[in-house]
Amino acid sequence: MSTTLERPALDTPRKVPTAKDTGTLLKGQKRTGWALLAPALLHSAIFIVIPVVAVLVLSLTDYSFGDTWSWVGFGNYADLARDVDFLASLWHTVLYAIVVIPISMAIALAVAVGLNQKIRGLGFFRTAFYIPTVTATVAIATIWLWIYNPGSGLANGFLSLFGFAPNRWLADPATALPSLMVVGIWQGLGTKIIIYLAALQGVSRDLLESADLDGASRWQRFVNVTWPSLGPVQFFVLITSIVGTFQVFDLVYVMTRGGPGSDTRVLVLDIYQNAFQDLKLGYASAETVIMMIVIAAFIGVGRLLQRADTND
Amino acid sequence: MTSAALPSTGTTVSRRPSSLRPGRIALYVVLIVGALLMIVPFLWMLLTSFKSDLEVQQFNWLPGELRWHNFVEAMQSAPFLRYFRNSLFIAVGETAFTLVVCTMAGYALAKAPIRGRKSLLNYFIVLLLVPFQIILVPLFMIVKSIPLFGGNNILGHGGIGWLNSWWGLIIPLGAAPLFTFLARQFYVSLPDELAQAARVDGLSEFGIFLRIMTPLIKPALITIAVFQIEAAWNGFLWPLMITTSDEMRPLQLGLAIFSQNPAEIQWPYLMAGTALATLPMIVLFVFAQKRFVEGMANVGIKG
Repeated sequence: MSTTLERPALDTPRKVPTAKDTGTLLKGQKRTGWALLAPALLHSAIFIVIPVVAVLVLSLTDYSFGDTWSWVGFGNYADLARDVDFLASLWHTVLYAIVVIPISMAIALAVAVGLNQKIRGLGFFRTAFYIPTVTATVAIATIWLWIYNPGSGLANGFLSLFGFAPNRWLADPATALPSLMVVGIWQGLGTKIIIYLAALQGVSRDLLESADLDGASRWQRFVNVTWPSLGPVQFFVLITSIVGTFQVFDLVYVMTRGGPGSDTRVLVLDIYQNAFQDLKLGYASAETVIMMIVIAAFIGVGRLLQRADTND
Repeated sequence: MTSAALPSTGTTVSRRPSSLRPGRIALYVVLIVGALLMIVPFLWMLLTSFKSDLEVQQFNWLPGELRWHNFVEAMQSAPFLRYFRNSLFIAVGETAFTLVVCTMAGYALAKAPIRGRKSLLNYFIVLLLVPFQIILVPLFMIVKSIPLFGGNNILGHGGIGWLNSWWGLIIPLGAAPLFTFLARQFYVSLPDELAQAARVDGLSEFGIFLRIMTPLIKPALITIAVFQIEAAWNGFLWPLMITTSDEMRPLQLGLAIFSQNPAEIQWPYLMAGTALATLPMIVLFVFAQKRFVEGMANVGIKG
């Protein structure tokens, strides 16, 4: 890249820009800047900002694709508080997030620390851990559906190696949600590992070496040098994980459709069904608003945790 | 597998890196077991795709023979070739659209002397946090009422707008704020003198953006392209919502429909189809690995 930085046409005589020239030049730069920015601004306004505002407004109506609709105030929210399916979905989603986020972050950090040693085959390991991330969730889900197959799947085959009785996995209310969590953790490791790995490369080498000279153990070096300097990246990973886990849909849609019963029903699935099968758009919008609030609350708690971590 | 070494300025403080101490052996064992846990499901998928219907009745590892015709029959049992073509079309269209819009905006956010540049950057960062699932419902309604498309009048009434159209599949989810942000992160590190010199030579502002600056951020372009191709190829919920005809369904939707009826799933065919849907993205990643990883790391850290 550095070679292309040299400009070839240096031999042409340069005109010294006058004050007036700089003025018009600046104007031109501004105009071009806005012109370049316009498509992205327009696109984001139409397809992100307006929809976010619309969700808030729709949640106060009983709109359902028809021509007539009316304001219902907070009626949708009152109904939601009594909606068993919604409450189950909310609970499962929160549970999913609480289990999947810390476990996957811890495993990812551990693997990244391992990969950050001078080891052979880094490219292989990186690819191996990243493959699930680049694979479509639908494909992942169909593979795991087959692995969890009670009759002849890999999971029961594996259990039988150790003499355990076969499990019904996704069909058993007790194991259905944990089975999904395993897939969620497994799939999300790759991105986190790569981000952690990049961050670990940026940890000050001098600090680590001087800690080493002072006789700090590996663990002490990790706790006192590495961990504090990972702060901003931890936060980035945490936020993207929160947003990601609350979005879980494809996995559930393909593997269980929210079953058995409604034991794996999650928020986006519930929203999707209310909006596009029962056509209750206002109601689904109210659900979405609740989801936004919960995500915001999670991010808020994340910030508090981070602050507490850096202060002590 | 191409191995892409990370920059050698690692933070490794181990004093005897090449010796085989017990700790190092344990490290390799753990990493290899971990890597296997990541790969085995895919291996299982491939092995299953060669098995016969009889062989999948009970658990075993290896197929009796390599039944390549499973792939042919899987392709014939559903219009997979069409799904494949549709996914490719969506991925290419969405990536082209994203590259154009996001590099332009990223450049302006990094280099243009416009008022409120900082707030505009913050605007895109905030939007980056809005998950698509949150705006599902209104997004559908907006796409349905795009004026003058799909039988709509100028006010967006009366027709289906962009529903069930390539426009609807490609435009709304393209040009994500994440990519604008990513492009900006790369442009911002280019020296201003470069643009200044080109300006003195009489190149237009747009020319500076297109001919001087953009060729210098190739790693970002590759990262954005790979990211966007993966996202488009793997997309599921949005196509599920807005397509009603088989004509436009992408691959993932085809797979999901294929696996819908648990009692009658033909596992070998389903796994063959899944393998065919997965392979292109894995190959793409393996080839673009190094650049892709650099780009990803930049989003996370320079933030």
